[in-house]
Amino acid sequence: MATNRRSGRASKRTASAKPVNAADAREDAVESERPSAPAAPPVPRRNAAFPLGVDYYPIDAEISSWDDWYARDPEPDFAVFAAARMSLVRVFISWKYLEQQVGQYDEEALQRFERVVAAARDHGLQLIVTFFADDRFSELNDVPWGKRRDPRNDSYLIQREVSLVQRIVNRYRAETAVFAWEAGNEAFLSGFTSGRELEEWAATMREAIREVDPDRPVLVGCDPETLFRASGVDARGAIDESELAVSHVTAPYQAYMAEGPVVSGPATYLDSFLLRSARRDLPVIVDGAGVTSLDYSPAQEAAYIRTVLYSAIMNRGGGALLRRFRDMDTERREPYFRDPYETLVGVADIDGVPKPSLAEVGRFARVAARLDMRRYTLAPERTGVLIPAERYDPPPSMAGLFDPRATLQAYISAKEAHLPVEVLREGDELGEMSVLVVPSAARLLPGTWRELTAFVQGGGSLVVSYGGGDADPTVRELFGIEFLGDYGRRRELTCRVAQPDALGRLEPFGCILDIPHFALLGGGGATVVATDAKGSPLVTLNSFGTGRAVFLAAPIERALAQGDAWAAPPAVRAMLRTIYGALASAAGAALPLACDSPQVEIALFSGEDDDILLLLNHAPEKLTAQLVAERSVATVADVRGGAAATVDGTAFGVPLAPNGAAALRIRWS
Amino acid sequence: MADDAPLKLYHAFVDQDPAAAISVIEQARASGVTQAHLFDALFVPSMGLLGGAWASGEIDEVAFTQAAVVAEQVTSFVTPPSASADTGVVVLIGCMHKDHHAVGKNVAAAALKEAGHRVLDLGVDVRPEEFLEKVEETSARLVVVCAELLSTAREAGRVRDMLTSAGHTDVVILVSGGPFDADPELAKSAGANGIVHGAESALRLVARVADDRAGRAEA
Amino acid sequence: MSADRSQQVALAEGLARQEQVGPAVEACYAALRLDASQPHAHALLAELMLAGDFYDEAIAAATRAIELDPDCAPAYLALGLAYDRRGGMWDQSILVWHELAEVVPDLVTAHVQLGEAFSLAAFDEEAIESWRRALELDPAEARAMYNLAVAALKREGVPTALPGFRKAGELDPSQDELFFDLADIGPLPRKLPDPAKVADDRDSRLHAAGVLARAEDYFGAAELVRAQLDASPDDADALALSAYMYLKQEAGNEAMACAVRAVMVDRTSVTGMYALGVAYAKRPGLNRHAARVFSALAAAVPEHPMPHVLLAESMMGLQRYSQAKAAYRHAVELDPACVRARFGLAAVLLTENRHAEAAWEIRRAAYYDTRRQGLFWELYDEYVEGGE
Repeated sequence: MATNRRSGRASKRTASAKPVNAADAREDAVESERPSAPAAPPVPRRNAAFPLGVDYYPIDAEISSWDDWYARDPEPDFAVFAAARMSLVRVFISWKYLEQQVGQYDEEALQRFERVVAAARDHGLQLIVTFFADDRFSELNDVPWGKRRDPRNDSYLIQREVSLVQRIVNRYRAETAVFAWEAGNEAFLSGFTSGRELEEWAATMREAIREVDPDRPVLVGCDPETLFRASGVDARGAIDESELAVSHVTAPYQAYMAEGPVVSGPATYLDSFLLRSARRDLPVIVDGAGVTSLDYSPAQEAAYIRTVLYSAIMNRGGGALLRRFRDMDTERREPYFRDPYETLVGVADIDGVPKPSLAEVGRFARVAARLDMRRYTLAPERTGVLIPAERYDPPPSMAGLFDPRATLQAYISAKEAHLPVEVLREGDELGEMSVLVVPSAARLLPGTWRELTAFVQGGGSLVVSYGGGDADPTVRELFGIEFLGDYGRRRELTCRVAQPDALGRLEPFGCILDIPHFALLGGGGATVVATDAKGSPLVTLNSFGTGRAVFLAAPIERALAQGDAWAAPPAVRAMLRTIYGALASAAGAALPLACDSPQVEIALFSGEDDDILLLLNHAPEKLTAQLVAERSVATVADVRGGAAATVDGTAFGVPLAPNGAAALRIRWS
Repeated sequence: MADDAPLKLYHAFVDQDPAAAISVIEQARASGVTQAHLFDALFVPSMGLLGGAWASGEIDEVAFTQAAVVAEQVTSFVTPPSASADTGVVVLIGCMHKDHHAVGKNVAAAALKEAGHRVLDLGVDVRPEEFLEKVEETSARLVVVCAELLSTAREAGRVRDMLTSAGHTDVVILVSGGPFDADPELAKSAGANGIVHGAESALRLVARVADDRAGRAEA
Repeated sequence: MSADRSQQVALAEGLARQEQVGPAVEACYAALRLDASQPHAHALLAELMLAGDFYDEAIAAATRAIELDPDCAPAYLALGLAYDRRGGMWDQSILVWHELAEVVPDLVTAHVQLGEAFSLAAFDEEAIESWRRALELDPAEARAMYNLAVAALKREGVPTALPGFRKAGELDPSQDELFFDLADIGPLPRKLPDPAKVADDRDSRLHAAGVLARAEDYFGAAELVRAQLDASPDDADALALSAYMYLKQEAGNEAMACAVRAVMVDRTSVTGMYALGVAYAKRPGLNRHAARVFSALAAAVPEHPMPHVLLAESMMGLQRYSQAKAAYRHAVELDPACVRARFGLAAVLLTENRHAEAAWEIRRAAYYDTRRQGLFWELYDEYVEGGE
């Protein structure tokens, strides 16, 4: 049974997202910033609170067979990982190879695995051990004696799985090189047909592990959104019992949500959107960072990796794992029509020679190492975008298809307004939110309307866009409008501003945009901020209790998402981010820093003496982000070192390369 | 050029006298109007007169059409040069050994050719020895090595090695391809003097090399 | 087929034709609950999912339709388009378009899409052959021509490709649309004007002439224009319309003469600028002149994408690829569905070695072109009629 997000307070289970002591203990791994200046403080090689790692698959060539499982000496590869400043390596157990006969564990297999563990230990790396995975090549779970029974629900096989798990866990329970135990990866878990079945199986594995190892984190390696999309199974119940969660973009999910170039448009926000939506009181590791197809140039691959890594650290990720190390050596083909879970593209070629994208990882690691999470705190998120519960409705309801896209669009608009933003699910506790955005939902649960009413009454700010159908009676009082019906579809959107400055600097516009619904609104006390060309209210603002409620008469987020997301009319995007930004600013939920470039994402980490500012350019063109702070800035410097630039004012510019990032240390006057 | 040259040309069109038209053009040239300016200075005004005459009924449809035929006959005399002047710069271009990705090479080669450079396209899968052979054969001092695979991009340095060991240390080598765009260090390690990022970049870099050379020659 | 099922499917069809996606999907599901073996219900569902860009759902529904009836042409269309729009499925897409081309041999789009799938799978010769076949079926198929121009660019660079783009552009109705927009001539009326009965004032003559020119009745139009020029030889709009008609009849010098005169009479005449620019663009060596004129036209009508496209093409001819890219991008921002701008942008991106982005632009052009064509209902209606 899926549970709702718990409160914003720290969970009782103190999950450790950082590797246990292996890297920290290696004093000799610490490097000095300026070796020639003895007084300079040592800089860690890695950020312990944001470990980097890679999925290390057991075979790298299509012609290999299942018994080539980790046959290659892992030592050179692990040396590369360590040199790239990684901390974590995910490895995959082969049940087929380990238990070729029932009850008998192959010694050669155990030796091979020991070699992997030893390589990790020797290089100061730690392993995430995945027990039941499907990598589409290695037949990891096809035990010959299994008689093709389903390992997910066959009781006998599950017993054998427990034995395997306990054998491995017992063997390595004192091993410092093991960081976490993962019950299964998403490709394997996508075979479950119900959430309950998945929860039961995960609970069984978890108990098996806990009998032997009470301490190490246990996780299920699936992203709740992508798994639900792939199989219709809601994994939240199983994930909530873990100590860690993962998020990742899969190829089919990308094709559904953001089919287009990975270095522009909605594709550059998708990883952090999933990260945010997977955060349910657990640290989340961004998994599978990397391109999912063979179409991209090395420069694009590197740019995308950079985007994912910076997005992850800027959005409270607990670490990041690359999709794959070596490219899979395959025949030339187009793979993905066959299998959504194939992973072919790595950060090194088939010979293990690093690509430019691996260099990108090293560069990021150097920057991340300067961000001591014990001293710097990310600005809290006070704006939340809500995924409606109708998202889980099965077909023929279209909500499950429309709502995720609309929510992603709302998330992007909030990012373009430079707001620290969270992704919530309907039913989650609202915690410390000051602003809520409910994009284009056709229907909310009755309880939700009560909750939203209380939220606004208590001082919160709310934006709801009409999603079609009958409006809930609550809207009358909450938004101060009379809902008179659905005008229906229109092919263009016109905005005429009635009250300039009521919700930021809104500009009038007219553009072609397919709007599936338009609410006909009558007066009811709300301020009409903008109308369509004929005076029908488009944006209304109502004060309710001590809060404010904004109603958009059309499902604008859905319209943008369903149209060509790479060609969304700029005026409409500007309208959304202006409205979100104005509400957030008035509610004190915006950053104390304005930026003139909507495509630049900003994260502000506050420290005692200085702050760290991360900027990420989501566009494939270079630009200079002009920033204006609320306080006077004394100096700005690159976190990696070098001379600080004197600002002595509130405004400064930061040049950013195409899909570039910057990490700056700001000292205030 | 005489002020009435366009009028004379117009009359030549209407009189269906191509020889007279050519004569007018030659006189304009002799008076100092360059080939690049003949069209605007002479041809366009005369066409304007022709159009005006037809519009006002001064000439009928048949005469208009026949005048247009004469105009067509002399168009080549007045059209600005479509091909750029020969720069004298010889550029060798080819895809590295074991690399068959020719599109970038084809596009850059065509652009350089259109700009008036003497482009020798060595094709794909070109061994370093072949680059050397062609350099020696043509005395080319500018080589563009294309590589779209990481593996072939890493081998591009062999071209520099081959040329250096044969004593051709003054040959400018430019590299082109996705791996170099992603990692400029690759170009450095290949001993390249620059990276070509596409057709426009090729034009700019080759022009700069040519200018540098010309400047040194003058000095 | 029982009457109930027929009603349910008919209801779904009706809702789908009205583009009421949600209710249509519900009706499809209801129809399939009654009888899951109706291929056209699955095909309808595929089309509805495709309309929403839900590609995996469209693929599943279309595949089911084809399993039930291997001759279900609308399902093949939906499946092929879903594969192509989703991306990364070129091998499958090739099979589907092959099949559709056999089931409906004169479906031009099948050959165009087949060519694009071949091209993305790096089978360049096969791609070219497919596009040529498309042109044999329809010599005015713009996208086949643009694709051939891009193929030429990959082999021989911009100088070879540019004439192909321009030729394709002339046959592409969007260029003519620009002229008629500038001349304020709307869509063709049901009954064309009779030149003998047009009123004797300037506006009536020119409007009627414009309508007749749009209907390609150049004789009728010429009569009216002549009448206007007799009354007023320095009428820039009349001169520009004459220039346009001469261009359409391949009389380049006559067109230039009239266009030059139009612009001399009125430097702000947008129709005159159009005709002059196009006349210049037809001649090698006049790219600079064309660029000058199109630049002025783009400044005069900045909201129209086509002047930016024409300017971009001139810039390509001058090897100013960055400026061409900026102009193409601007055109695409103004109209994301401008196929010519998308292909032009793809060409410029190829000059920068940005193959993936170029391929994306070509796929976007296909997306918009195939959506505009609305072929599904043609095939669906034939299929349904054929079955009864």
